[in-house]
Amino acid sequence: MKEDVLFINKNHTITAEVILNKVLEERTDKYIIAISGESESGKSEISHYLGILLKKKGVKSKIINMDSFYLVSPDERRKWRQEKGIKSIGYNEYDWKTVDQVIGDYKSGSKSKMPFVDVISNQIDTLETDFKDIEILIINGLYSIKVKDAALKVFIEVTFEDTTEVQKQKEIEEIDDWRMKELKQEHKVIESLKGEANYFVDLGTSMKMYHL
Amino acid sequence: MLGDILLIQEKHKKAGETLIDKILDSKKEKYIVAISGESGSGKTELAHVIAKGMRKHGIFAKPMHIDNFYNTHPLKRRQWRSEQGIGNVVGYNEYLWDDINRVIDDFKNGRISEMPCVDLVTEQVDKLITDFSEVDMLIVDGLYAIKTEHVDFRVFIDLTYMETKEKHTKDARGKEVMDEVRWATLAQEHKMVRSLKPLADIVITKEYQVEIL
Repeated sequence: MKEDVLFINKNHTITAEVILNKVLEERTDKYIIAISGESESGKSEISHYLGILLKKKGVKSKIINMDSFYLVSPDERRKWRQEKGIKSIGYNEYDWKTVDQVIGDYKSGSKSKMPFVDVISNQIDTLETDFKDIEILIINGLYSIKVKDAALKVFIEVTFEDTTEVQKQKEIEEIDDWRMKELKQEHKVIESLKGEANYFVDLGTSMKMYHL
Repeated sequence: MLGDILLIQEKHKKAGETLIDKILDSKKEKYIVAISGESGSGKTELAHVIAKGMRKHGIFAKPMHIDNFYNTHPLKRRQWRSEQGIGNVVGYNEYLWDDINRVIDDFKNGRISEMPCVDLVTEQVDKLITDFSEVDMLIVDGLYAIKTEHVDFRVFIDLTYMETKEKHTKDARGKEVMDEVRWATLAQEHKMVRSLKPLADIVITKEYQVEIL
């Protein structure tokens, strides 16, 4: 997203390096990596750093943030969710049709238009990119493991308390009661999807990583 | 730019707050703020803080990075500059001023506008399409931003590349990334940016204090 603030720390760089090795080993033509995890688990940071590492290896990757692909715009989302009820929160909030279209454009190496949220104005801009030379697509987002075409589905594990702590630091939004409910619901949905991942990263104290 | 990493510190927030007050004093419709400064001086961070802070005052501000508007492709720029001679070409004539002026005009008239957007990971130039109809304020940042026409409020950050040297010599992992060409480029940019200082309405000092001229 435009104007997204990233805080890259040691955990992110180590994680990105581990993922890099795996990608270099396993990658096939038009490879897709999905990086998922809860809000503020470090998805964007890890995706970004992975992109930089791939660049250093001479591999061109494009990062796409699924936060830009919600059906309801950021300014209207809270109200919409409150009206529909907490259960409305989940992967059906994504505009999957547009997601699939962008993935199709990537696979065929063509030009593509996609939504692009400016986190300052909360406006939804449009980004036009050319996938001609792109060799790897990195899709980061809460529910990106739902992307069928992803060969590598990474799940970043952090404890719920860690997440809210980062959010406070970044001053992204105030954590009021409703936001807390939202985070809990997202957590529930993500827990139910976790099984679909094929690569787990645990950013807890031990920094353990394992592969299923 | 896509994939630009912002390091927002307390000093940016403090200077940003003072600037917001100043801007609100002289605010009018379709207002344009410009922030110039050398590489590593914190222009993008300052632009971000101001744009975000404006929301609290009910003003929709949008940052626009005019370092996206170079006349050479990011991957070809270094070689082109070396061939032409860094001292001859590095400077504000490298901007696509016609395109910048077109976007400024689109903003003033609340139109839908297209602009280049460099992705620092792919090193490609994407195209960003935005609708200016709801945008109240444009915050232009870039090396030579205050040279832009029709700007209402010009901010100059007085930090030189020598004072932020550490930022340039190492990448995120502490690896050396500098060479002669890059240093020569920074030195020439320094000369060109400094020549614009007289245009400023406000100077941010080396200590990040806000100085009204």
